Amino acid sequence: MEEMRIMLVDDEERFLSTTKKLLSKKGIDLLTALSGGEALEMLNSHSIHVVILDVKMPGMDGMATLREIKRQHPLTEVIMLTGHATVESAVEGLKSGATDYLMKPADIDELLEKAEEAFERRKRLEEKIRVAQTRLSMKTPREILRETE
Amino acid sequence: MKQDRYATMKNTILACMILVPVIPFILVLGVGYYYFTASLESSTISSMRRIIEDHRQMIDSFLRERKADLEFILNSYSYDTLADPGRLPDILTQLQKKSSAFVDLGLFNEEGIHVNYSGPYHLAGMDYGQEAWFNQVIKEGYYISDIFMGFRKIPHFIIAVKREDAEGKRVLRATIDTHTFSDLVKKVRIGKTGEGYILNAEGMFQTERRSGGNLMDKDPDNLRHTSDEPITKTFSQKDLRGEDCFFATTWIQEKKWLLVVRQEKGDVFRDLRSASYLIVLIAVIGGGAIIGIALYLTDRIVRRMEEMDSEKDRLGEQLIRASRLAELGEMAAGFAHEINNPLQIMKSEQTLIQTILSDLKDNGQIEESEDLSELEDSVRQIAIQTDRCAGITRSILRFSRHGESRAQDVSLQTLIPEVVAMIEKKAGVHGIRIEQKIDQDAPSVYMDSAQLQQVLLNLFNNAIDAIIDKHGVEGGEIIVDAVRSDDANMKITVQDNGCGINPSYLDKIFTPFFTTKPVGKGTGLGLSICYGIIGNMGGAMEVNSEQGIGTIVTIRLPASG
Repeated sequence: MEEMRIMLVDDEERFLSTTKKLLSKKGIDLLTALSGGEALEMLNSHSIHVVILDVKMPGMDGMATLREIKRQHPLTEVIMLTGHATVESAVEGLKSGATDYLMKPADIDELLEKAEEAFERRKRLEEKIRVAQTRLSMKTPREILRETE
Repeated sequence: MKQDRYATMKNTILACMILVPVIPFILVLGVGYYYFTASLESSTISSMRRIIEDHRQMIDSFLRERKADLEFILNSYSYDTLADPGRLPDILTQLQKKSSAFVDLGLFNEEGIHVNYSGPYHLAGMDYGQEAWFNQVIKEGYYISDIFMGFRKIPHFIIAVKREDAEGKRVLRATIDTHTFSDLVKKVRIGKTGEGYILNAEGMFQTERRSGGNLMDKDPDNLRHTSDEPITKTFSQKDLRGEDCFFATTWIQEKKWLLVVRQEKGDVFRDLRSASYLIVLIAVIGGGAIIGIALYLTDRIVRRMEEMDSEKDRLGEQLIRASRLAELGEMAAGFAHEINNPLQIMKSEQTLIQTILSDLKDNGQIEESEDLSELEDSVRQIAIQTDRCAGITRSILRFSRHGESRAQDVSLQTLIPEVVAMIEKKAGVHGIRIEQKIDQDAPSVYMDSAQLQQVLLNLFNNAIDAIIDKHGVEGGEIIVDAVRSDDANMKITVQDNGCGINPSYLDKIFTPFFTTKPVGKGTGLGLSICYGIIGNMGGAMEVNSEQGIGTIVTIRLPASG
C-alpha cells in the first residue's frame, strides 16, 4: 500500500511551515497550499489522499474549495479546519462532502489521527472500488449459464 | 429628582381637580344665595309697602268718613236742633248706628262754650275758647286730635268740624274710640314678628304695639321719616333690642300720624337661613366629595404613571441590554475567531519546540539539567495556557452562536430529570440533595431541548458552586420546580441555599465575561448564554438572590399548544 500523502491548506504561512516540520519529524511528507486555488493546482499535479482545509481564507474560501475538490477529485478525503467552533459550519462542511472536521487550535496528534482515519477510509473505499471492478469483469456461473441458454 | 417630578405633577393634578369644580360650585352657591336674599328682601319690602299703602287708605278713609259724618250732621241740622239737649242723644244714636266708633257728641258756640253734649260725661257748659284745638278748628275748619286716654282709660281721639253761616260759627265735636281702626292696624301680621302700629308726629304710640310699647309711650326705635320725604318710605334699621328690622312707614292723616309696619330681618330670612344651613351642608359634603375623589383619582393617576414610567424604563433597559449583548456577541465572535488562528500557530510552535527538545535529549545533544527541566516545564505551561485560551474562545463562540435552533415540544417532566441525572453524581459528592417538584400535568414548552439542557446544566452548576462555597460538603440543597405560571407560560425555578449573590453584582450577572469565580474557573459567559437562549425562545429569566441565604433563578417559557 502506498504512503499517505496529506495537504494542508491555510492562509497562515507559519502554520503551514511549522506543521510541515512537525510532520516530517514523524516521517510524513506534508504538502501545503496557501489558498484554495493553489490547493486545486496541487491536487492536479500531485497524488494526494487527504486534504486538511481551513474554512476561512481570503479569496476562495474553504467551503468553495471543498466543493471544487469534491467535483474534480471525488475520492480525495477532506477534513475541515474551522476557527468557528460551531456545529453549524462543520455540519455544512460535512453535508458538502467533508469527511470530518477539526477545531482550531488543533493538536498535531489530533490532526494526524483524523488524517489517518480519513486515509483508512480512502483505502477502504479504493478497495471496494477495486473489488467492484473485479466483480464487474468476472461473470458469475449463473450469468454464464443464462448467456448460453 | 423623579420623586420631585411626581410630587409636582400630583400637586398640579390635585389643584386642578379640586379648583376646577370647587370654584364654579362655590360661585353657584354664592350667586344663588345673593340673588335669593335680594329677591326675598325686595319681595318682603314690596309686600310691606303694599300692606302699608292699603292700611293708609283704610285709615284715611275711616277718618274721612267720620269727618264726613260730622259734617253731614252739622249741615243737616240747624244750630237750635243741635243745641236741643233732647235731640242730641238721638243724633248720637244715629251716628253710632253708622259707626260704633262714636263715643260722644258735643256742640260748641263761637266762643268755645260747650253748648250741648251727649255722651257718658258731663261736659256741657265748659269753656274751650282758649284751647288750641278749638282755635285750630275755627281757623282750619276741622281738627283731628292725637290719641289720648280718656277718663275711662280707653284710647280716644276727637274730630271737630266747624260750620259758619248766617247763624254764626259753630263747632261739632265727636270723640272717636280708636278701637275700630287700631284693630285694623293690629291685624297686620307678617310672618312671626311682622306688625303694624301708628305713631304721632312726636313719635308717641297711637296704637299699641304687639312687640311692646304702650299707648302714648315714646317709640323707642326713634324712626326718622321727616314730613318732607316721600309719603311712603321703606328702610332697615336696628331696633332698640339690636334686631335688624325692615320698616315701612307712611304718613297718614295729613302727616300727623305715621303708620309703621315692621318685621325683623331674622324673621324674613328664617326660611333662607334654614336653606342656607342646607346649602352649607351641601357645600361641605360636595366639597369633601370633590376633594376625596380628587385625592383618590390623583393618587391613581400618578401611581399609574409611575408604573408606566418604570415599565418603560425596564423595557428600555432590557432593550439596551439585549442590543448590547447582541453587539458584544458579534464582536466577541469575530474576536474569538481571529484569536484562534494565532492560537493554532502558537500551539504548533509549542509542539515543535517540545518535539525538538525531546529529539535533542534523545540524541544526547543536550544533557539533563535543572535548566532543561525548567525549560520543559515552561513549554508545557505554554501548552496549558494555549488550551485555556482555546477554551475561552470556544465559550465565546458558543455564546454568540446565532445559528438556528430546532424548537420542538419539550416535556419538562422528562427533560428535567435527565438533566438532574447528569449532575446528580457531582452534587452527591458534595452532599447536595436535589429536590424535584415538577407538576406532572404541566404542558410542554416549545424550544430546542439541547439548549434548554444547556441552560439547566449551567444553572445547576452555578448552584452547586454556590453551595460548595457556603456549605462545603454537607447541607446543600437544590430545589427545581416547574409549574404552569399562567395560561401561556411555564415557570421553572432553580433554588439553592448557597452563598447567594452580592447585591451590587445582581445587575451585572447577565453581562458577558462578568464572573466572580477565581481566574481560570469561569469565563463569565454561562449566565449570559442562558439569558440569550431563553430570550431567543421568547422567554424571560430573572435572578433573585440574598447574600448568605441563597439564589432563586426563575425562567418563564411559553407553553406549547
